[in-house]
Amino acid sequence: MSELESRLTAYLAHRMPEAASVAVDELARIYGGSSQETYRFRACWTQGGEAMERRLILRRDAPAGLVVAERDLEYKVYRALAGQGIPAPEAHYLELDPQWLDRPFFIMDLAPGRPGDPFISPDPYDGHDESIARQFWAIMGRLAAIDHRAVGLSGLRNGEAAAGFWRLELDRWEGIIDAGETVVEPIVRAAIRWLRRNPPPEPAKPAIVHGDYRSGNFLFTPDGQISAILDWEMCHIGDPLEDAAWGIDPFWPITRHLPLEAGLAEWEQASGIPADRGALDWWRLFAAVKACAIWTTAEAAVASGESHEMIVALSGIRAGHFHRKVILALMKERGAVP
Amino acid sequence: MRLTIEASLRRIGELLREDIAPDLQTPFLGQSVRMAGGMLNICANWVDDAAAVRADENAAIRAMLGHAAVALDGELAERLRSAAVSSDPGIRISQLDAENHRLRCLLVEAHAAVEDAGLSLLDAAIWKLLEEIELTRAQREQDNPIGK
Repeated sequence: MSELESRLTAYLAHRMPEAASVAVDELARIYGGSSQETYRFRACWTQGGEAMERRLILRRDAPAGLVVAERDLEYKVYRALAGQGIPAPEAHYLELDPQWLDRPFFIMDLAPGRPGDPFISPDPYDGHDESIARQFWAIMGRLAAIDHRAVGLSGLRNGEAAAGFWRLELDRWEGIIDAGETVVEPIVRAAIRWLRRNPPPEPAKPAIVHGDYRSGNFLFTPDGQISAILDWEMCHIGDPLEDAAWGIDPFWPITRHLPLEAGLAEWEQASGIPADRGALDWWRLFAAVKACAIWTTAEAAVASGESHEMIVALSGIRAGHFHRKVILALMKERGAVP
Repeated sequence: MRLTIEASLRRIGELLREDIAPDLQTPFLGQSVRMAGGMLNICANWVDDAAAVRADENAAIRAMLGHAAVALDGELAERLRSAAVSSDPGIRISQLDAENHRLRCLLVEAHAAVEDAGLSLLDAAIWKLLEEIELTRAQREQDNPIGK
């Protein structure tokens, strides 16, 4: 048994006083959890004389990652969205005390299915592309329809704001760029100026924004069903079109599998909200700026030695170029480059 | 034939990707080592012309700041004029990067002022320079997609 398995065993025994003979095995780190460390494991115990077994996921704060995650945010979102029509694993325990595993963590069910890899595979969804893409948009629409106050999520970032979400988010990400950038990127700064000069209309309603809703951040089963939307650590309240723009970003575009208008029709039907195409266009450029901010954070984390993750290093140095080229293309599209 | 820094990084990268990663016990470690190999390849692509790329870029930005100084006025124009005739403080990458950041910050200021003044020709010239800079730097990282 590894040290981490032993410590997890002790923790589960502490959290499940009614359980006996608690054991943890088959612990394996899952590749790709670049904002938090993600492990799968099996827990076995006996309860009332009955042998129990459960496949679980441990999400532990990384020393540093691609984003600055709020520690208990993801756990709270999973709990709040249970029963709301959003496929997500059941979250069980949140632990902020570092005595158990050195850093905050939470434990949730291992959802069935696997992620598609948008970066490598030409057929990431085993032939279910269109169906998966339609579900992708419909689930995003259902998320937009949820009243965040009614499900107890007004404590999320911007949760009490009534308007001005574009400015709140742009200020946030510009601040992250300011903090992490050692060589300023004039292309990104020009995009930020354009975004401030050309603000979008207010959303029809404030909505729960996943914040990283994209290919690669959900699981699907062999029969082509999306079984879980994952990676909620950047969740906040804002304009739901922010998620739509992130999902069609050319780094991981869901539009590879379904044309944009067909996807928006699914979203409109599920959300009951008309998708303002002009606003979506603003959020597309915002998405590229936000991506640059995330890559800047990644680069800084590796440079400082806070992160040893190779995916964070590669993201930091390669993806920034990609998104600055996206910004160039979007600025030309807008006539902002004379 | 000398074993250059560039060649050394490439060989270590190949070793990690092709010999070590396949034999590692866990998928996580194998993928991490493959990526580390890719990272070394990118570093190899950076090495040989790292100073030249930065020195050329700094010179190009200085030239642009000189053009902007003529079109703009006031205290900003004065700072741009001064930067336009400055020179790199040394040939270490750290020195060139620090100077590059200083010049880029001035370029951001100049660009914003050019936009405000509606100087479309100069605006277009700045965008052309920014695109050239991006393409020059990006070329060095094209042969190792994320995840491979």
